[in-house]
Amino acid sequence: MMSGLLRLAVIGFLFLSAVYFIVRIYMRSLEAERLEKKWQEQGRPGTMDDFVERGLKAYEGSLRRRLIWLVYVVPTLLVAVLIYAVNFM
Amino acid sequence: MRLPAWKTVKRVLLALVILVVIAVLHYNLPQHDIVRITDTYEKRIDPGRNAFFWATPDAGSDPNATNRDVFFIQAVRPNGRVIVYRNEDTGWGWPPYFKFDTANLQAEAADLKSAADNPKWVVITHYGWRNQFFSIYPNAISIRPASGPGERIIPWASIIILGMLAFILLMIRRMWLQFRERMVDPALESVGEMVDRIDTKADLAAARARGLRGRLRAWFARLRNGPGRQ
Repeated sequence: MMSGLLRLAVIGFLFLSAVYFIVRIYMRSLEAERLEKKWQEQGRPGTMDDFVERGLKAYEGSLRRRLIWLVYVVPTLLVAVLIYAVNFM
Repeated sequence: MRLPAWKTVKRVLLALVILVVIAVLHYNLPQHDIVRITDTYEKRIDPGRNAFFWATPDAGSDPNATNRDVFFIQAVRPNGRVIVYRNEDTGWGWPPYFKFDTANLQAEAADLKSAADNPKWVVITHYGWRNQFFSIYPNAISIRPASGPGERIIPWASIIILGMLAFILLMIRRMWLQFRERMVDPALESVGEMVDRIDTKADLAAARARGLRGRLRAWFARLRNGPGRQ
C-alpha cells in the first residue's frame, strides 16, 4: 500500500508542480497584458515598462496570485473526498 | 505537397486518435447497470496477456505474487442476458477510483442476491469492459438497491469528469494562444526583421558585385516592391 501511495504522491507532486508553474506564468502574462492596456487608458503615465513592472510587483502579493496554490490543494481534497465516497459511503 | 493521399492519411490518423480517446474514456468512466445479482464467487486468476485489464493485487498484499484469487459477481440484466463483474481493488493506481473496500463490496453483493421469482434489482457502478475472447471483466465499484428494473440514472460523475476535461482543454488552448501572442509572435517578428536586414545587405553586396548597371536595376526593383519589402 505504501509503495502505491508513494508513487502516486511523487508523480502527482511532479505533475501538479508543472501545472503550477505553467499557470503562474500564464496568470502573470495575463496581468502584464492587463497592465499595458491600463497604462494606455490612463493616458500613458511615465514609461510603459515602469508602469507594468510596478503593477506586477503589486500583483505578486495579491490574493489572486496566491490562489494559484489551489492547484495543489484542490486535487488533494478531491482524492480525499473520492476515497471517502467510494469506500465509506 | 498537399496531395489528396496525404489528406486521406491525415484524416485516418485523426479518426484513429479520436477513436482511441473515446475508447479510453469509455473504459475508464463509471457506468451504471441495473441488474439482479444471482451469485458471488472467487476464482484464482493468473493474468497473462490480458494482465493489462486486471487490477493490481489488493492494497497491502505482496505485489510480486504471480497469481491470486479474485472476487466475481454474477448478475442478470432485466432483458435476461447475463453479465459477470470482477471485484478488485484499484488502490492508488489507474483508474483513479481509489477503491480499497473490495471485500466489503463482495459482502454487500452477497447480501443483495435474489432469485428470478422474487427479484431485487440493484444498480452496479462499474468501469471496464466484458470481453469473452480476452477473459476480461468490468470492475464493480459500488452497489445500491434500485427502485426497479426501469430506474432512470443520470450519470453525474461522468458529466462532471467530462466537464472538467473540457475545461482543462479550453484552458490549455487559451494558455497556448496567450503564449503565442506574447512570446512567439514578437520573437518571430524580430527574427523576421533581422532576416530582412541581412537580405538587404546581401542585395547591396550583390549589386556592388554586378557593377553600376546592376546596382541601378536592383534599386529600381526595390522601389517597385515598395519600402520594407524585398
